[in-house]
Amino acid sequence: MTEYTLEMRDICKSFFGVPVLRNAHLEIKPGEVHVVMGENGAGKSTLIKILSADYRKDSGTVILDGKEMNFRSTQEAIENGISVIYQELHLNPHVPVYENMFLNREEMRGPLLDKAKMIKKAGEYLEAAGIVIAPRTLVSDLSIAQRQMVEIAKAFSLNARVMVLDEPTAAITDKDTERLFMLIRELKAQGVSIVYISHRMQEIFEIGDRCTVMRNGETIGTVEIKNSSVDELTSMMIGKSVQFKKESNSYIKLEEASLKVEGLYYKDFLKDISFTLHKGEILGFAGLVGSGRTETAKCIIGDYARSKGRITVKNDTVELRPKKIKDSLSNGVVYLSEDRKDEGLVVEHSIAENVVLPSLKRFGKNLVSTKMINRYVQDSVKKLNVRTNSIFQEAQTLSGGNQQKVVIAKWLSTEADVYIFDEPTRGIDVGARSEIYDIIMDLAKYGASIIVISSDIVELLKLSDRILIMYDGRIVTSLENDGSLTQQDVTRCVVNG
Amino acid sequence: MAIDRIKKLKLQNYTLYIGIAMLAIIFEILCAFNGLKFFTASNIYNIISQSAMIGILGIGLSLIILAGGIDLSAGSQVALVGMMVAYALKNWGGSIFVACLAGMVIGMCAGLFNGLGVAYGRIPPFIMTLGMASVTKGVTLLIGGGKSIGALPRELGLISNSTVFGIPIFILYLLVLYIIIIFVMSKFRYGRKVYAVGGNRKAAKLAGINVKMTELSVYVLSSLFASIVGIMMVARLQFAAATAGAGYEQYAIASAVIGGISLSGGKGSVQRTLLGSLILSVLKVGLTILNVSTYWQEIATGLIIIVAVYVDCAKMRKAE
Repeated sequence: MTEYTLEMRDICKSFFGVPVLRNAHLEIKPGEVHVVMGENGAGKSTLIKILSADYRKDSGTVILDGKEMNFRSTQEAIENGISVIYQELHLNPHVPVYENMFLNREEMRGPLLDKAKMIKKAGEYLEAAGIVIAPRTLVSDLSIAQRQMVEIAKAFSLNARVMVLDEPTAAITDKDTERLFMLIRELKAQGVSIVYISHRMQEIFEIGDRCTVMRNGETIGTVEIKNSSVDELTSMMIGKSVQFKKESNSYIKLEEASLKVEGLYYKDFLKDISFTLHKGEILGFAGLVGSGRTETAKCIIGDYARSKGRITVKNDTVELRPKKIKDSLSNGVVYLSEDRKDEGLVVEHSIAENVVLPSLKRFGKNLVSTKMINRYVQDSVKKLNVRTNSIFQEAQTLSGGNQQKVVIAKWLSTEADVYIFDEPTRGIDVGARSEIYDIIMDLAKYGASIIVISSDIVELLKLSDRILIMYDGRIVTSLENDGSLTQQDVTRCVVNG
Repeated sequence: MAIDRIKKLKLQNYTLYIGIAMLAIIFEILCAFNGLKFFTASNIYNIISQSAMIGILGIGLSLIILAGGIDLSAGSQVALVGMMVAYALKNWGGSIFVACLAGMVIGMCAGLFNGLGVAYGRIPPFIMTLGMASVTKGVTLLIGGGKSIGALPRELGLISNSTVFGIPIFILYLLVLYIIIIFVMSKFRYGRKVYAVGGNRKAAKLAGINVKMTELSVYVLSSLFASIVGIMMVARLQFAAATAGAGYEQYAIASAVIGGISLSGGKGSVQRTLLGSLILSVLKVGLTILNVSTYWQEIATGLIIIVAVYVDCAKMRKAE
């Protein structure tokens, strides 16, 4: 017998020839909480999906209790005691808890369902795990945190030996987090191994036993958490500390507030957000997924109805009303979504159609002039260096970088003053990336004000004059990017709150 | 709190009954003003017989909608089956059993193709069944050579027009079929599978349910019910027309939605589709007694369907 419940050795995986995992490995002991950390794109989720047989590995071995396993389906993995509890939960909301727990392995009496027995057994499993939920409750009446617990109880009832929790605390409150931790400790005591994926240092130190850090598809190392420190984990995560000399931006006019947000609240997602964006400034927003950055942007442009707070533009002279996209557009505040395909472009339409969509008014009062449009689009395609044969090419046939340029061209056509970029380089290759950086910096130079929301800290350090850190719906820190700021400084704030 | 919830659920369970009762009372009052009576044996008989075919067709549609799909070809399947039965009676020796079997086989072929297209071809159900509606209409016309087939043997009529202990037989069909399906949906594993596939496909798949097979099965079952309706109809009318059952799928879908089955799948119960179809026929019979023209009846039915779907959508939005 080995000392490990689960071993993953030399796991390699490529997508379309691009290696995502390079000889990654992971060793899980029985009854431990094993944290897996790494920046976005480090390969954590791919590794987990290989474990759960969602993806097929290219090479490497998975060993469970000393036996090599080759799961052909997620179901087979589950049957062998490996359960993954994803962020988007997999329950049927319209039926009771017990039916979800016994889905497709119902208790039968002859050919008939034995509901009484299922309810009783579901109750026993829930109780054994210390979860106070009645088995007959409809899942749709449960909170996210409770649903998560039902999933855990379900996994437990399936005799899970290894339970993977994928950022389980991203969508739940502090109180629920405490309950979840109690549950995790209970499971641990019963010999279940927990693989815990999270970025939140506090939690990791509270609940974790050991931690494996991944970077660029490789396993950097595994440490005992009680012998480690935030600094050690952070530097393992980002590698050598990089520093950036950002040229000082002499175009900022601090006396001109292009956008001012005061005391912004939005449901439970945002709490007391206040900041000022100056003319010519590039303001970075850093934070974990779910920290409230996109929600802030969407409240500003009026896509989401804020609960409280005041948002003004043009030096405090014009107020943007809640839930009025018209207000933000007519006052030159635009948002470039992180989701290009759904919110940024009409992908079946041509470049030209996409570019002029928000600014059709410019090209004629009622009848639009195709000639003017084409001339304008030709011009902006050239300026932004969109690589295409024709402005009539469908947007979906362009590469990610060129699509993003079309999105930028589209909003430039409105001659806005404030541009909010949400993950401007997600899924974009290095070359196009630096071109997009140049465009953003040029915009600021010519007097626009910019917000950049990004999970890529290096990107924020390259671009921003100032970086605001969000954590759990609040702005927790503001860092001046004066040249001495390091990636480590920012990452530490992002994960610690 | 749990008790409150149970109370609330109970009340919700009764809203449909209350709805039917209120609608009936409103008609009774309106009729009284005009010197007519609404609550008569013949009217009640009419109401139930009106809803028998829609109600049975509604079982199949309910299963499909619960599993997350839709079937726009159910009405034309009814015509296809009727035509096949009539054709077989005329040309294949006149055995009623053989004719009905032929009708069922061809009807269920339509359902099988729907199911294969949706489950295995990943064609959106709306498009698949819209196409199938056109195909079945064409096949119906081909079989009948573009004409109706009439002068069918009188014994065929016994299938629909006889009575058992004084109760019209098609009311018994309705009740028996509903009792069977209610039993299957609540007591057998199959019912859980249908709900799971419509409620959360991924969860169903992870639990090892054969999602595609389950999807396929609801389309085939639905066409089974459409076949039964097709046979009932040709037996009752004693002739088969290509236009028989036209638009029935609308009423069947409407019954399901009025009964509270969510168009997004996974939610609702089949027995309430029966109540939904009763509401529609109370409306129809009531308006007929009041001498309201069929044009207005169509408009009223349409509005009720829109309101029911609106309520369903509003609930969904609230749930989000």
